[in-house]
Amino acid sequence: MRKPSRSMRSCHLALSAVLIVLAGVACGGKDGSADLDDATGWYGSVLEKPVPKVDFSLRDTEGRPFEFASETEGSLTLLFFGYTNCPDICPIHLASIAAVMRDFPYELRSRIKVVFVSTDPERDTPERLRSWLDGFDESFVGLLGTVEQVNDIERSFGLAPSFVDPAQDSERYMVGHAAQVLAFTPDNLAHIAYPFGTRQSDWAKDLPRLAREGFGSGRER
Amino acid sequence: MKDIIWWCAARGVEWTWTWQAYPGVWLFVAGLVVAFFRLERRETDEALSDASSPSWRRTAFLVAAGALWLILDWPIGAIGAGYLASVHMVQFLVLALIAPPLLLLSIREEDYRALARRLPEGPFRAVTHPLVTLATFTIVLAATHWPPVVDTLMPSQAGNMLLDLVWLATGLLFWWPIVAPVPERRGWGYPMKIGYLIAATLVNTGTFAYLTFTALPLYATYELAPPFPGISTRDDQTLAGLLMKVGGAAILWTAITILFARWYRESERGEPTPA
Repeated sequence: MRKPSRSMRSCHLALSAVLIVLAGVACGGKDGSADLDDATGWYGSVLEKPVPKVDFSLRDTEGRPFEFASETEGSLTLLFFGYTNCPDICPIHLASIAAVMRDFPYELRSRIKVVFVSTDPERDTPERLRSWLDGFDESFVGLLGTVEQVNDIERSFGLAPSFVDPAQDSERYMVGHAAQVLAFTPDNLAHIAYPFGTRQSDWAKDLPRLAREGFGSGRER
Repeated sequence: MKDIIWWCAARGVEWTWTWQAYPGVWLFVAGLVVAFFRLERRETDEALSDASSPSWRRTAFLVAAGALWLILDWPIGAIGAGYLASVHMVQFLVLALIAPPLLLLSIREEDYRALARRLPEGPFRAVTHPLVTLATFTIVLAATHWPPVVDTLMPSQAGNMLLDLVWLATGLLFWWPIVAPVPERRGWGYPMKIGYLIAATLVNTGTFAYLTFTALPLYATYELAPPFPGISTRDDQTLAGLLMKVGGAAILWTAITILFARWYRESERGEPTPA
């Protein structure tokens, strides 16, 4: 039998490497998800102490009063505080949730409510907020109140109140606000918060379980 | 000096059309230009050829250098680094498939032979063996589009520069058996070169399918980047996959067509097929 040349051996080695790498990519390729928290069984951050739903009332983008507790009763409710001029956190969170919800069947989508409370009443007019939310999903609820009202609500959920740095441009200012989305399950408690950086794959795995089975399903995994 | 951004990277800040300087890119492209014209001048001085480089050779180089500058500098470099995977794919196509053959074409045969004389023959033949170059291209293509690799490298200037240079180096290696006249290989004529390029059109199928048909965004870099107006993360990823397949195939089939035309012309003239 003829002995393979050095260059042929190099070729064989390289081809073997290709197969190993391709197999690794095919088998171990992640689908863009963050790591599952094995202790809790959820992709979001489980809160040490669940946050109870607070019964607040604000105006929606049509000017109607929106009673948070009663309007969201029985639904999985994602509550988020932000503003329409936000350059990153708000649009990324809302775009991710909207993209994932579009993949859900109607039955599941109808169990989920997304409530967005503006932290920038100066610039977020009802029309502007409605138009901005419609860019993500027309079912998203937009709420408006005074800065004091909204800050009180944030505090009641254990979130830091929003703030505007007074040194900034009076028209192009940024608003500091909580970056997490609180997920209230039908038991009227938020057991999980979703920080900035939550991937669509994380939402896609957690939301159906939270909406259909509630928070208790996480520990059974 | 500390605040200078030398190379594009994913910065996680809102996109603006405010111009940004990337001196590292300028130095890189300027280095290429200086190297080419020094080589060209040396050839003229030493009368290595009957005249300076033919204009097509200089044109090939200038197109390659211009394309590299265009895709590495602001705005394409910045958008590709931190906002859109589809623009990052355009960068890949230029770095790995368009600029390398043009750069290799801009080098004279005498210079290739001089280089070959300086290198140890065995390793040089092994590294530039078509199976090795195709395998390397396949490995690098798959590895550098794997989400953990992309998400690790893109946020840093050094990581992004490394990725760009690896793509360029891999492209040079991949095109070497097609363009470079050395080392000579028995039986490595037009039919084999055409077969090599056809094989290359197939090796990206796995990565293309992974990018195009995965429903959820694969890369945290682009998924969690401040939104770029006009395109969603998912559409951007699908477009990136399609660009890899369609754009890559268009480039490779253009090269196949050129090779076939040359082969046909030489056969008509009765010239022997290069061995």
